[in-house]
Amino acid sequence: MHDSFLTHARKRWLWVALVLLAGSLVAYVWHDPIGPPNGGTWLGYTLGTIGALLIFWLTSFGLRKRTYANRVGSLRGWLSAHVYLGTSLILIALLHSGFQFGWNVHTLALVLMLAVIFSGFFGVYAYLRYPSLMTRNRDSATRQAMLDEIADIDQNALALADGIDPKIHAIVLRSIENTRLGGGVWSLLNAKDSSDLALAKARQMLDAKEKAGDEAKKVSTREMPTMFAMVDFLAGHADDKQGEALRKLIDLLSRKKSLASRVAKDIQLQSLMEIWLYVHVPLTFALLAALVAHIIVVFFYW
Amino acid sequence: MRWLIRRVTRKGKGSVAYEEDIHYGDVLTVGRGADQAIFVPDLRVALEHARITAVAAGRYKVESLILAGIKVDGQITYATTVGAGAVVEIGTTRLQLLEPPTDFDAGVEVSVIDKSELKAEAQSRAKPTSLAQTWLARRAPSWILFTLVAVFFLGLPMATHFLPDLRAQLPGLPLVPSQNAWQSGDLQDAHHFFGSDCTACHEKPFRWVRDESCAKCHAATPAHADPAKFNLPELGDARCAHCHRDHNGTDGLIVRDQILCADCHQGLKDRTAGASLLADVSDFGHDHPQFKVDLPAWSAEGRYTPVRTLLGTPGLAERSGLKFPHDVHLDPKGIKSPSGDKVLGCESCHQPDAGGAGMQPVDFELMCRECHALTFDVTEPGRQVPHAKVPEIIYMLDEFYARRALEGGVSDVTSPAIVQQRRRPGQSLTRQEQFEALAWAREKARRTAETLFTGSACTVCHAVSPGREAGEPWRVAPVRVAGVWYAKAHFTHASHTTMQCKDCHDAATSKASTDLLIPGIANCQQCHAGEASTDKVPTTCIGCHGYHDSDHLILAELQQRAKAATPPKASGGSH
Repeated sequence: MHDSFLTHARKRWLWVALVLLAGSLVAYVWHDPIGPPNGGTWLGYTLGTIGALLIFWLTSFGLRKRTYANRVGSLRGWLSAHVYLGTSLILIALLHSGFQFGWNVHTLALVLMLAVIFSGFFGVYAYLRYPSLMTRNRDSATRQAMLDEIADIDQNALALADGIDPKIHAIVLRSIENTRLGGGVWSLLNAKDSSDLALAKARQMLDAKEKAGDEAKKVSTREMPTMFAMVDFLAGHADDKQGEALRKLIDLLSRKKSLASRVAKDIQLQSLMEIWLYVHVPLTFALLAALVAHIIVVFFYW
Repeated sequence: MRWLIRRVTRKGKGSVAYEEDIHYGDVLTVGRGADQAIFVPDLRVALEHARITAVAAGRYKVESLILAGIKVDGQITYATTVGAGAVVEIGTTRLQLLEPPTDFDAGVEVSVIDKSELKAEAQSRAKPTSLAQTWLARRAPSWILFTLVAVFFLGLPMATHFLPDLRAQLPGLPLVPSQNAWQSGDLQDAHHFFGSDCTACHEKPFRWVRDESCAKCHAATPAHADPAKFNLPELGDARCAHCHRDHNGTDGLIVRDQILCADCHQGLKDRTAGASLLADVSDFGHDHPQFKVDLPAWSAEGRYTPVRTLLGTPGLAERSGLKFPHDVHLDPKGIKSPSGDKVLGCESCHQPDAGGAGMQPVDFELMCRECHALTFDVTEPGRQVPHAKVPEIIYMLDEFYARRALEGGVSDVTSPAIVQQRRRPGQSLTRQEQFEALAWAREKARRTAETLFTGSACTVCHAVSPGREAGEPWRVAPVRVAGVWYAKAHFTHASHTTMQCKDCHDAATSKASTDLLIPGIANCQQCHAGEASTDKVPTTCIGCHGYHDSDHLILAELQQRAKAATPPKASGGSH
């Protein structure tokens, strides 16, 4: 069976985290401090020290990721520990605080820590789910192969369109100019590609055209310029030979459309795999500042 | 019109070949069609793609014949007029318009755009395909957030510790965290009024809060015990903050944990070398000694000097100074009274005091006199002597019988004739008669007093003895019925009003007032047990006892005394 970072080394780090949590819980239940449980008891200081060391260590994962020469454990082992020990921090920090919350730097550190951890949960989900989706979406091709094929299709479609009519050629040319993959953050995450969205529909409209003649003209055409132009052309002056070529062209452009969608999907999945890091990392640094402030403040006003 | 068309072909390694051609006409057509003046064999070019017209020498009008427009000097356009030197890009072909060469009216240079140039342009036009290519970043936001948090939640509040002006102004600024953002929890309510000034308690950074800071307000707080007398480190070194930990909400400051007391109240006799006689105690439910009560007692001088006595001691008797059988008075069938049969209850005599903790003294006038009337003369049943005022009683009896004797008409056959004799109106007594009558009156008053004090009235309830001083004919033993029994605990009736009196005080069967009706610990333990109890009221030490409970030692004074006795330490707080 595939050994993911969750099952790494027979879930060694899951067990380490569970033992840590069980120990903390038992100590918390057994501990009977003066006053309510809080971070200022000996257990509070102990859990706080464990939590702070864990946070510093978890943060160092960013350094470990970049240090390819590091030989202390595999990167997968580090990630496994990062995930399990990071998750265990939720309970350790809550027990450390004695479930006391307020509008202060201490709770700010807790909230930032929880935000970092939960954004990390999305990362865990993304790393477990999206690679297989990406593989399936690419269908044993690479993104570059798909892009190359799109370029080939563009050339073929131009050649085909040229044989039909200059008007069709101009339309296809404009369609190619307009086909651009990628874009802003939102476009990347939403799998938007600006290739002609009407192409897949054009075939249906062509079929409809053959059945219903001129009625297709009445369909709203604003959003489907290429389709409209082609159907318009067919209705007007296409002979059978041109109709055959046009159908081929539509097939070709449909194939391109499907490829472009897959590339867009690939970009989307890739972006989803990365987007959480843009939350996870900056919040980690905010957390580091809040944690340092928390520790200094506690001893500044002991 | 003569056009010069110069074709430029690159042949690798930088060598360039020119091929010149002449075109006649005003208009230069560009396209993929065979009939075009400039034939561009590129599928991305329309058959009739563009039209260039020479409008003047060195002036050209460029028109697009397709919807997409053409690129002139990097700008997409449909029609424009440009000068010589302008560059028109069509597909992979570049047309540069020239100043008309000699013998020509217009000129154009046709070249193929370099592949690397095309690629670079395609790349510059490409949209981002990964987040790293967008405006999103990780490094800059990380450092910005780090800095913001560090400045606003650490630097700025810390600066206010050293800058009192800033400390006063910062909390007033909107959205800017002040030192309040450092508070780990709510302060106890009573501390709120100075709570925003951290330095009120936290005087020096990185030091524990010192007891002197507490004593600035809590100057009169009693101590627990004298560390000089009881040589216990726990006592002398205890910081206020050891027990009183603020920033834990309103519950935090008064600590109720029994371990705080129990850890020290073990083996006190040994640890204090006999200075303390207190027994071990750790839990009210199962490890607490029997109660000691203040039994009423009086010194030879009559001063109230209660004797602290362990409950359950054999032969223990209450010495209230009163004779009072509870069982007779609490007869459920009732007792006779001048106003008919009356059923008495505890509350008939025992009323709570204003604070609700103890009971008011029993009031003879309100509670006893109706039945126990202090009459003294059968001929005048309406007259009574006052209660509890011996000299006044003697005085009143003297006056009463003197008047009777002088007015005459007394029906006592043993009395002198002058006393029995009725006076006529206006009749006056001789000196001799007056002496005789008053002599009788004095004797009568003396005998009546003796009867009251030793026979019919006082001794029913009180112990009466002859007076030991001049002017003190009789002495009535002092009485103490209500008062504080558990002197070292804070028992209050007010919090036990859900109970009935008989639940704790077995009065109904008590035949004599020497029965001590104050309950022992077993009675309390029916309902109360230690901190960990789940089936009884969990009652920790301070449920009944106080820590700052000394009646003569002030904590702040002890601390000052201790400070004066020991040289100041070099550094660090003492715990």
